Amino acid sequence: MADGWRRWWPYYVMMAPGILFFLIFHYLPIWETRIAFEQVRIVPPNVWVGLKHFQVLFSSSVFWQVLANTLIISTMKMAFFLPVPIVVALLLNEVRGGSLRKFIQSAIYLPHFLSWVVIAGIFIAALSPTDGAVNNLLGMAGIAPRSFMTDTGAIRWVLVFTEIWRSAGWDSLLYLAAIIAIDQQLYDAAEVDGANRWQKIWHVTLPGIVPTIATLFILNAGMFLNADLNQVINLSNDVVRSKIDIVDTYVYRIGLQTGEYSLATAAGLFKAVLGTMMIIIAHFVSKRLTGKGVW
Amino acid sequence: MALSRKTPIERIEYAIIVSTLLLLVVVTVQPILNLLAISLSEPSKVPGMNGLAILPQGFSFEVWSVLLQHPNVQRGIVNSIFITGVSTLIGVVGTALMAWALSRPNLPGRKALFILVLVTIVFEPGIIPDYFVNKRLGLLDSYWSVILYKAVNAWYLIILIRFFEEIPKELLEAAELDGANPFQVFWHLVLPLAKPALATISLFYLVFHWNEFFRSMIYLNDQGKWPLQVVLRQFVIDGDKIAIVGVDSANNNTGAGQLNLRALKAGMILLTIVPILAIYPLILKFFTKGTMSGALKG
Repeated sequence: MADGWRRWWPYYVMMAPGILFFLIFHYLPIWETRIAFEQVRIVPPNVWVGLKHFQVLFSSSVFWQVLANTLIISTMKMAFFLPVPIVVALLLNEVRGGSLRKFIQSAIYLPHFLSWVVIAGIFIAALSPTDGAVNNLLGMAGIAPRSFMTDTGAIRWVLVFTEIWRSAGWDSLLYLAAIIAIDQQLYDAAEVDGANRWQKIWHVTLPGIVPTIATLFILNAGMFLNADLNQVINLSNDVVRSKIDIVDTYVYRIGLQTGEYSLATAAGLFKAVLGTMMIIIAHFVSKRLTGKGVW
Repeated sequence: MALSRKTPIERIEYAIIVSTLLLLVVVTVQPILNLLAISLSEPSKVPGMNGLAILPQGFSFEVWSVLLQHPNVQRGIVNSIFITGVSTLIGVVGTALMAWALSRPNLPGRKALFILVLVTIVFEPGIIPDYFVNKRLGLLDSYWSVILYKAVNAWYLIILIRFFEEIPKELLEAAELDGANPFQVFWHLVLPLAKPALATISLFYLVFHWNEFFRSMIYLNDQGKWPLQVVLRQFVIDGDKIAIVGVDSANNNTGAGQLNLRALKAGMILLTIVPILAIYPLILKFFTKGTMSGALKG
């Protein structure tokens, strides 16, 4: 490789801005996490205190509550979100009319491209106890209005539902792609055997998309601790905070709002390390079982 | 053909399937149409309007014209366009250049650089360390703190690398034999070939940056720099009426003060999604294709 540098330098020049970016905005923050092990002092340098902040964190009941909230919300989302796009894809696949199908798809994909600020705005309006669509509907059925956004029993379901509203349609696209890839001969064979619509779905389509279901399930498991900061931060309020305060919002609050930088960094680092382990495990499990990974 | 050879039961089944999906469409679109109806209604009729309504009561552009003339909203629009535009430009150029280099199979250090990128996907140290980096770089309260966030998005980078890898080797070798240097190959050969992929990536960045609000919220103290999402959040989510209505407008007969708060919020939400709606046909065209083929390839 005597002429290595002469041949390759232009490529390094092209990459330089990108690499510089990754070093500054992704690797410098990793270096900055050392603050989790330091005592911040007004006059630098900070003092190394080892695991002190982690001890404080793990002995704080608030932190455990926040961790529990994160796990509960993630579990609820997984259990109730996951089947919806699968069902939507199965139903969509039965719609043969091209333009009808396109119309339905165009409508249900849209929310995926709206910000959580916008979605929160839409749902605060739709869930209003006086003039929101949901309570207007309940009113027609003779049910007393509820204030869902300030109801500690309902707010986690608001998170689950808004998540479904936002992404179930879009996620169905992935399953639809998997369905389309299924060998048409299998359907023909089933038809010859006298299978009806539901038998074909049950015996051909579903088995055909099991690998995709498995992959997405495992990948979601890898993202388990990411209960979505942007969603929670916009749908939260003082009344229901204790129910949906997650690790990310906790870090934001005690770090940037209260100024307890070290403690917040420790919490963030705890989450990041746990999350990294889960993603890596998910990746290898997924690769092993289905041949598809995270990257 | 679908209906002709079907039994009655199959037709009923089909009807149930289609109505279920149409119900889904209604649940998705109705809340948005309701806000549109409210924002376009005669201001005096808004207070009694039902959350289920999708047709305006009377018709008036007042909410929209007041919003569009409001200085906070105008600044928000300008800031959003500026931040989104510059971020997208930097993102696409940076990503394309890096992806092109990383797609060369024999590039020395390729694997190491790939790992450098992958690590950032897997490990995210969190908000506070990131905040300190921006602080140390003197970027707080500067547009750059928002613009440079995910300037090169690792996921989009990988998508582009995969795309570039599929450009036929023979084509590139022929260009190199003709004496083209890597920059010329990139400019005259790779970029034109990659137009669909670049369009997709541009849309990714555009949507991502337009919808971004958390960064702007924590890094931009100066309200004059706020993008539309943060103005919206301040007004609708935090219920900070001053953001749009103004302090002294309670006794004021003109402007936002006399308009229904609910109608103003509805208008503000819709205003924020106008650009998304405007490019939605493009999004559907490129995103769905990309996602479909991506899923197929696995």
